[in-house]
Amino acid sequence: MTAALALACYAAAVGVVAPKALAGSAWPHRTPALAVAVWHGLVLSFTIALALTTYHLVTPTWHLHSGMSGLLRFCGLTLDARMPATGPIGVPAIAAPASVALIPLVRFGHEVLRARRVRARHRGVLDLVGRRSARLRATVLDHDTPAAYCLPGRRPRIVVSAGALRLLSPTQLESVLEHERAHIAGRHHLALAATETFARVFRWLPLAREARAQTALLLEMAADDRALRRHPRQALASALCTMAAGKAAHAPGGAFAVGGPGAVVRLRRMLDVRRRPHPALCGVLAAVVAGLPLLPPLLGCAPGM
Amino acid sequence: MRRLGDLEAEIMDRLWAWQRPTTVREIVDDINEHRPVAYTTVMTVASILYNKGWLLRAKEGRAWVYSPVRSREEYTAALMEDALGTSDDRSAALTHFVEQMGPEEVSALRKALRAAGRRTEA
Repeated sequence: MTAALALACYAAAVGVVAPKALAGSAWPHRTPALAVAVWHGLVLSFTIALALTTYHLVTPTWHLHSGMSGLLRFCGLTLDARMPATGPIGVPAIAAPASVALIPLVRFGHEVLRARRVRARHRGVLDLVGRRSARLRATVLDHDTPAAYCLPGRRPRIVVSAGALRLLSPTQLESVLEHERAHIAGRHHLALAATETFARVFRWLPLAREARAQTALLLEMAADDRALRRHPRQALASALCTMAAGKAAHAPGGAFAVGGPGAVVRLRRMLDVRRRPHPALCGVLAAVVAGLPLLPPLLGCAPGM
Repeated sequence: MRRLGDLEAEIMDRLWAWQRPTTVREIVDDINEHRPVAYTTVMTVASILYNKGWLLRAKEGRAWVYSPVRSREEYTAALMEDALGTSDDRSAALTHFVEQMGPEEVSALRKALRAAGRRTEA
């Protein structure tokens, strides 16, 4: 029972306290890709902790004396003949925690497939209606509203509207296209789908809400960084400003703000003289990401718990 | 090797440009001015487009005449609506360079850009 309690406390800390602290700190903006990994590590760690809590609640005694071998057995690393899965308690002991872990996983797969269908439909229309530009490596849509977006996935497309072409200078345009290419190359849609699914399954959880919002913003920053490797910061920053202004002018019915403060934060960050994160910080973060999923099993299976 | 989708686009391009019911023969003749294409190929692709709901067709004499269901502008507008996320379907991951925002936010952006411009001049 102590193990269940310890795991539940851990899940509460990861689910409620950690997201507030992480969302409030400054370092994620300096190393957005690693910060996204930390958010995903927290999400994974929370799910594992919840599954293990369930496991310990259903089967309170087994782990009292099994220690490390119990951990291995739980992880399916040993096909132990003594594994008490045949008893009357066996089925719920596996089924309950397994479903806690599997439901988000299945929903994620479902979400990825659904999004792929939506994109395929969009691409089907796009390929007939848009004009492909070999020079821009993008599809041009003949529409006045300035817009630039990408369809990630197996047959990716970068789309830019005629309105955006009119507003942006060639350098600005190239930096915007590079930003979109970064989304595709980095497979950012999968990271987004993961936090999106998690937020739907655990709607009430602060971690879920923060992970979704922060991942979206951090991925934009990661794409900005990649665009800035090849293009001057002034070009990307002024393009952001021009596009935002142009879009607002075309907004149906005036103002509906969904952008939030993200764009201003991104703009300031683009123009700031780049402060590279300290290698030690990156090392620590990588260790945290690797350690997060391992913590709950260690906590649950520690001898004496 | 051209893909079938390219031929679909070529057919739609012509029908949208001409804005009148058109026979497969007319389309074939027009494409043949640039490159050779078989009548049967165009006929097949036209009926694929019909089955997909892109084209309407009617019998005129012994031949079918085809016309687009909707104009290019209507499809474009629908795509943009889809893409600009009037629905908040994030995970379809039509991630934008910049989201739609209100006038106050846009002026905050401008201010930040100007401030940075002054900093670099100073």
